Amino acid sequence: MRRELFLAPLLAVLLALAAVAQTTAPARKLPPLKFQDLHLDNGLRVILAPDPSAPVFGICMTYNVGSRNERPGRTGFAHLFEHMMFEGSQNVGKGEHFILVENNGGGMNGTTTEDRTNYFEVLPKNQLDLALFLEADRMGHLAVNQPNLDNQRNAVQEERRLGIDNQPYGKSYLEIDNLSYDNFAYKHSVIGSMRDLNDATLADVQDFFRIYYAPNNAVLTLVGDFDPGVALEKVKKYFAAIPRQPSPQQPDTTEDEHYGERRETVYDPLARLPMVLISYHIPTGNTPENYALKVLGDIVGQGESSRFYQHLVKEQQLATSIEVQVDSRRGPSMFYVMAIPRPGVKPEELEQAIYKEIGAVGKDGVTAAEIDKARTQFRRSMIQVRESDLQTAIRMGQYAVFFNDPGLINTIVDRYDSVSAEQVKSAAQKYLITNERAVVTTLPESRAGAAGGR
Amino acid sequence: MRRNQFLIAAIVSMLCLGTMAGAQEEGSKSVSVNAVQRLNRAPVNKQVLEVKLPRPTEFHLPNGLTVLVLERHELPTVDFALWIKSGALQDPKDLPGLAKFTADMLREGTTHRNSAQIASETDAMGATVTATAQFGSSHSQVAASGLVENTGKLLDLVSDLVENPTFPQDELAKYKTRQLADLEQERSDPDFLSMERFHQVLYRDFPAAVIAPTPASVKGATSEELKQFHDRYYVPNNAILGVAGDVQAKQVMALIEKYFGPWKKQAVSEAKLAALPAPEPAKVYLVDRPGSVQTNIVAGDFALRRSDPDFIPLRVMNRILGEGPTGRLFLNLREEKGYTYGAYSYYTADTYPGAFVAETQVRNAVTDGSMHELLGELKRIREQAVPENDLEDARHAIVASFALSLEKPATLLNYWMTSKYYGLPEDYWDRYPAEVAKVTPQVVQRVAHKYVDLDHLQVVCVGDGKQIKDVLSKYGTVEVYDTNGKPVAAGGN
Repeated sequence: MRRELFLAPLLAVLLALAAVAQTTAPARKLPPLKFQDLHLDNGLRVILAPDPSAPVFGICMTYNVGSRNERPGRTGFAHLFEHMMFEGSQNVGKGEHFILVENNGGGMNGTTTEDRTNYFEVLPKNQLDLALFLEADRMGHLAVNQPNLDNQRNAVQEERRLGIDNQPYGKSYLEIDNLSYDNFAYKHSVIGSMRDLNDATLADVQDFFRIYYAPNNAVLTLVGDFDPGVALEKVKKYFAAIPRQPSPQQPDTTEDEHYGERRETVYDPLARLPMVLISYHIPTGNTPENYALKVLGDIVGQGESSRFYQHLVKEQQLATSIEVQVDSRRGPSMFYVMAIPRPGVKPEELEQAIYKEIGAVGKDGVTAAEIDKARTQFRRSMIQVRESDLQTAIRMGQYAVFFNDPGLINTIVDRYDSVSAEQVKSAAQKYLITNERAVVTTLPESRAGAAGGR
Repeated sequence: MRRNQFLIAAIVSMLCLGTMAGAQEEGSKSVSVNAVQRLNRAPVNKQVLEVKLPRPTEFHLPNGLTVLVLERHELPTVDFALWIKSGALQDPKDLPGLAKFTADMLREGTTHRNSAQIASETDAMGATVTATAQFGSSHSQVAASGLVENTGKLLDLVSDLVENPTFPQDELAKYKTRQLADLEQERSDPDFLSMERFHQVLYRDFPAAVIAPTPASVKGATSEELKQFHDRYYVPNNAILGVAGDVQAKQVMALIEKYFGPWKKQAVSEAKLAALPAPEPAKVYLVDRPGSVQTNIVAGDFALRRSDPDFIPLRVMNRILGEGPTGRLFLNLREEKGYTYGAYSYYTADTYPGAFVAETQVRNAVTDGSMHELLGELKRIREQAVPENDLEDARHAIVASFALSLEKPATLLNYWMTSKYYGLPEDYWDRYPAEVAKVTPQVVQRVAHKYVDLDHLQVVCVGDGKQIKDVLSKYGTVEVYDTNGKPVAAGGN
């Protein structure tokens, strides 16, 4: 799950829509993105990918810290801290960051996940100095105070109310990870508990900044219309003086094996229909097995021709909607299925039908046509990333921090394509099994006991 | 896990006017410790990067179909957008959702393909094909995008959906089941509840009052009614087709003639719309949602038509007031007061006057303070001329952000589809920056006065009545509804 500084319509549109990036190319093959990958003396990793197709650039600063670094009693802190990065630094006033970026025609946001925190901007190409200055000033000289902390604590608590506490199924989404994971790193939520958010102090903010917000714990990616030589000089100008810090410890995210199925029922007064939420433990992202499970997830869950949609929504009419999400975390990941039973259908009936579909993959495998379709869909999704300098910068930063491989932007399609039907089948047999599963069933509270919904 | 995507989708669908945030300001009243602070030390390039939006080429087929082709060769993709000039506004009063049902069912079967074939052809191309008729919209849209190598196959598929849908009975029955569940689901969403009530009280008997079908209309709609709606409105002389991407105009036009040439021309008789009601006096509505931990506040009134010359001045005004994280609403209610995660304003504009809306979601305990601040900002932008600096920031931001739209062919195409559909001048987008530059503080104040009409402001709050009803009554007589959209008798709660 992902939290962000504010809901940004423009950026969301950038995420969702489609468009430009490289030179003209023959159909099918996406032109590789050329980039430089180097380190400044203070340890800042700098990735420069020129792309002159539109007069803009995307910049992303990815810090190697997320909610997995939090300790008990301070859940939600990485995300709260992300908000504090917009509250002012030595040469940028509180909130001035928004103003400078947006008033010069750009867009920006910050987001926090379990595995990383990022800050990004997209701007017209003539504002490169501005973007670099803003990122450098807050990396070098964050200036925050108690009133600002209290203010952003409020904003984050409202974010939690808006996104979770006041929404149907909000509690269930948090509960699935709590139930599945044993290791605190991924067990607790990115948004954190209200109580822990209340307990966060200014000293916590200062410690967190010192430990994690150092150049040697960050990756700067720049994608767009610039001269790489000029850009590198500017990067040095703004960042070179920021001192390196001792490398922070990386948390242990490993999970013990042999989970056994776990189940829980959430009675939700805000929900009007039941929901079935299932998770399976799967391997870390960017491994052959994780790619195999991504292919599997796309075959059962992506698009209206997918097995879940065709069989469970259309043919058997057991669900009115069903979605699949396959995580690629830095640590133990999850394969999620979320389904709403058709009114009148018992959640457990739908649940069994989902297992039957998954079981069929383990028993009979998938077809060549399904694999081909998944590959084409994935290739297109990566072209959509490349259509946006900002999305490309965000991805490369994440690939660098997660897997030490920004070049995955070019090779991930090959990795996905290299998955065979046999690998999909054995991944289903090995991971999508009862023993690796957790299930959260949501029932509308007013109808608790009448599990069939209406 | 998926929560964020849902939220973003909801907000984006409301902010159909696009682009980014606006003007800044110093903390309004007494300067609080949380007021935004401008140090002006960052290196800013004062020059606006001037961009000229590339123009599409326009073609006309003998059957009356208008076609816009925009060549963009950066990546091997293609986007299509077909706008049918009829939509939910043409829904019969006793069958809300007919335009939506018709659009949704296009992908459920044609004379050449069944539902499963349509889905598998689309996914095998890695393409996206959508057909939508949004409530309150004057038009329906069919959109497709994919890899340029599949241009012909995509056109084959899309033209089949548009020209030959069969609305099969069995698929319609299944569709109804899904729709009924969606209707139930929507009632758990506070944003839906606030928008439902707001559109009802603003538009009353005008079709834009409706934002969802009713269970009765879902159950009652027949395949024949969908077919009639389709046959009446889905005709080439009532449509604009746009193409953008890595195509050559000549080749793609040959394909378009092949697939859309046989589409039969036919006279269109538009349904007569009910008159827009006169604005009602300001009033407060409460949708009682027991257990709500936030109050969703929506306040608004009539805005304008898309073709209105005030559209651009209103954009500038709205940028200062509430567009994005630099608007006054965000800076005040979130950054200064800490009442909310977000507070914004926006407006819609179509062939009929859209709505101006200011909205926020706040914890129950600060409902009063939030109402006070939100209404206070609406009052301030009406009564006080905006400082020249704020205005300059807003103008600069709007013009500078044009550079970003060059990244995506679909974004560019949408500009030209908009100007064509609403009959805006040929040079509208070329002149847009100059029109923005012309907006003065007096103009901002004039449009604020006109479109942020406090005497006719309709305020809808969704929240826990037990906790907020008394607070709301400070702002006027409160009319209460339940989450099923039914009025609650006065005194009862």
